[in-house]
Amino acid sequence: MLALLSDEQQMLKEVAVQIAGSAGPANPSDLHTRDRAAAWQSLAQSGLLALRTRDDEGRPVGSGVEVAVVAEALGAGLVPVPYLGSAILATELLALAGAHDEAEALAQGVSRTGVLLDRDLSALARVPGDGPTYGWDVDGAAAALALTDSPDGPQVVRVSLETGFVPVAGADLTRTLVRSDGPIGAAHLTPVGRPLSPEDLQRWEALTLTAISADAVGVMRAAVARAVAYAKERVQYGVLIGSFQAVQHMCAEAYVSAESAASATNYAAWAVDELDPTEALMAARTAKAQCAAVARDVTETVMQVFGGIGQTYEHIAHVHTRRALTDRQVFGDEGTQLLRIADVRLTGE
Amino acid sequence: MDYRDTPEEAEFRAVLRQWLSATIPAGWDKIDDEEEAVELRKEWHRTLYRAGYVGMSWPVEYGGRGLSPVYDAILNEESGNMNAPSLPSVGYIGRAIFTYASEEQKRRFLPPLLSGEVSWCQGFSEPEAGSDLASLRTTARLEGDHYVVNGQKMWTSGGQYADWCLLLARTDPDVPKHKGISAFLVALNEPGVTVRPIVIASGEAETAEVFWDDVRIPEEQRLGAPGEGWRIAMTTVAYERGPADIGFIAAYRRTLRKVERLATERGLLEQPETRKALARAYVRGEVLRLNCMEQLSLRVSGRAPGSEGSVAKLLWAEAEQSLQHLAMDILGADELTGVADGWLSSYFTSRPVSVYGGSAQIQKNIIARMLDMPR
Repeated sequence: MLALLSDEQQMLKEVAVQIAGSAGPANPSDLHTRDRAAAWQSLAQSGLLALRTRDDEGRPVGSGVEVAVVAEALGAGLVPVPYLGSAILATELLALAGAHDEAEALAQGVSRTGVLLDRDLSALARVPGDGPTYGWDVDGAAAALALTDSPDGPQVVRVSLETGFVPVAGADLTRTLVRSDGPIGAAHLTPVGRPLSPEDLQRWEALTLTAISADAVGVMRAAVARAVAYAKERVQYGVLIGSFQAVQHMCAEAYVSAESAASATNYAAWAVDELDPTEALMAARTAKAQCAAVARDVTETVMQVFGGIGQTYEHIAHVHTRRALTDRQVFGDEGTQLLRIADVRLTGE
Repeated sequence: MDYRDTPEEAEFRAVLRQWLSATIPAGWDKIDDEEEAVELRKEWHRTLYRAGYVGMSWPVEYGGRGLSPVYDAILNEESGNMNAPSLPSVGYIGRAIFTYASEEQKRRFLPPLLSGEVSWCQGFSEPEAGSDLASLRTTARLEGDHYVVNGQKMWTSGGQYADWCLLLARTDPDVPKHKGISAFLVALNEPGVTVRPIVIASGEAETAEVFWDDVRIPEEQRLGAPGEGWRIAMTTVAYERGPADIGFIAAYRRTLRKVERLATERGLLEQPETRKALARAYVRGEVLRLNCMEQLSLRVSGRAPGSEGSVAKLLWAEAEQSLQHLAMDILGADELTGVADGWLSSYFTSRPVSVYGGSAQIQKNIIARMLDMPR
């Protein structure tokens, strides 16, 4: 047993942190000026968009651990590019469906594809259907992937975002959301690859929950670091506010919460490709449940440490909170994960 | 990164499981009499020692096997899984002795500590020095070739059953408080030592207070240099709260299974709120386990336990106490009327988890220090 990143993974982390550092906003106003296309190209050139494409033996180029390392770095940097949507969630779906050329195109950075979510953002949309659907993390994407039932199992389908979808002013300022209110008819669906097995879907969900958890861990750790740094420079009553035990304990609690989420996520990341799909999914639900349980509190604590300035639109704090709230909800919040975990623990489902 | 056992670890685990299932004394956990239970724990220590399971991660020269601390963790985990008697906690005293003792002291004290011939306690806290340990008032005055000790120690866990004590006392009142403390190795049967059990809120005698009246200690039983006591104490507590105590995780999982059974027996499994609460308790246990595995990995890769142990300590207290709250919610009145035997005691036993080994507030102070926050 050795639950630590390898030297190679540590190097990958450094690359991802470096890209995130130049692509992420220091202030909300930076979100309008950052060169998102250049950031995407850096990720493509460093091979970070190709982690879930398959090598000659059909194995993922990068394991769940590498995915989590990159996702955490980009979350920490609040980087406004569709890494999760396109490079992880959509690419993995394509690879599992055997659509390797399309996965490769995403990895090269020449095209982008998002995912289509149901009304409460808790699952991949099943189409055709009536309710509203959301294209999530679709910046620069012309299409999003969803599932349709076929006699041979769930079939991945591409849904064009060009017609029927309108931009939504969602909570998250760093990832793009679009919505379709109308029904998505069978005529708008293009099947991609072969139908998925139940194990494929479990594996995909495990990776998805883990990658989102890793993003949330990055968001939380960076937010806590910002608050701690601020507490070391902000003076009130003639002393640094970080010298007050009340402030110290708030920061310590937020730190413990973020680290607890990280521990669960690291294991889930390892489990994605190393354990049975059911075990991997259980580990991923555990990580997602923990992240969802603490993400709101942690980012709220950070806003509190920043005091008045932390409540303003021009300050970066709420950008963390918005991304954390979104990570909490997409693909199921804490309650959703806990009920599924209970099914396994208590009913053996 | 690999959370699985290496082939060597897996082999060790398999042999251990076999040994445990053949060796755990039947009905040991049904013993009500405290004296009998203590005797059983001491005997279990000797049994483990003969099989080579005590002090595995200690250096070979001090009677250990020089193995990675992962093996201690596996022993802890499997002991919990297989419901073995609690493991002897020789680690922190041993660490203090083989880090700071003279060769002669090592030869004298380590073998009987390992074998279980001699059991130890830790005389640190005092009535006026709990969280603020460095304010301790017990004094050791050098008179010729002896120190004379006077004072009172409190929260000396196991003090009523121990033979020897790792004692902290003030040897120099004229220097800053952290610098005037020395550590001693003392037999509790010396004249002038009085041990009195402390009954905690559950009604059980979990710990003790120890009175020192003109107790004479030969100078050669001082551990380390004069004034080095604080450093020795900090080394000791770091190992005490560290992830090697992964045994509490297996115990937590056992309690969780019991609480799940309670909910099942009471027909509460259909309630979504109960299902969520039970799953939440599972998640807390997993988070704790995985955090400890990471800490253990850091230690294996050569780092001494640091402040990160404070994170695990806080997570542990929260998990343990929330689980007892959940049991209480499930049991309702039955926990208060004596119908559900033992649960009220478990509840009260979970309360000091956020006090002993450094209170939750002290752990947060330590984390703030680690985050380099201003003093």
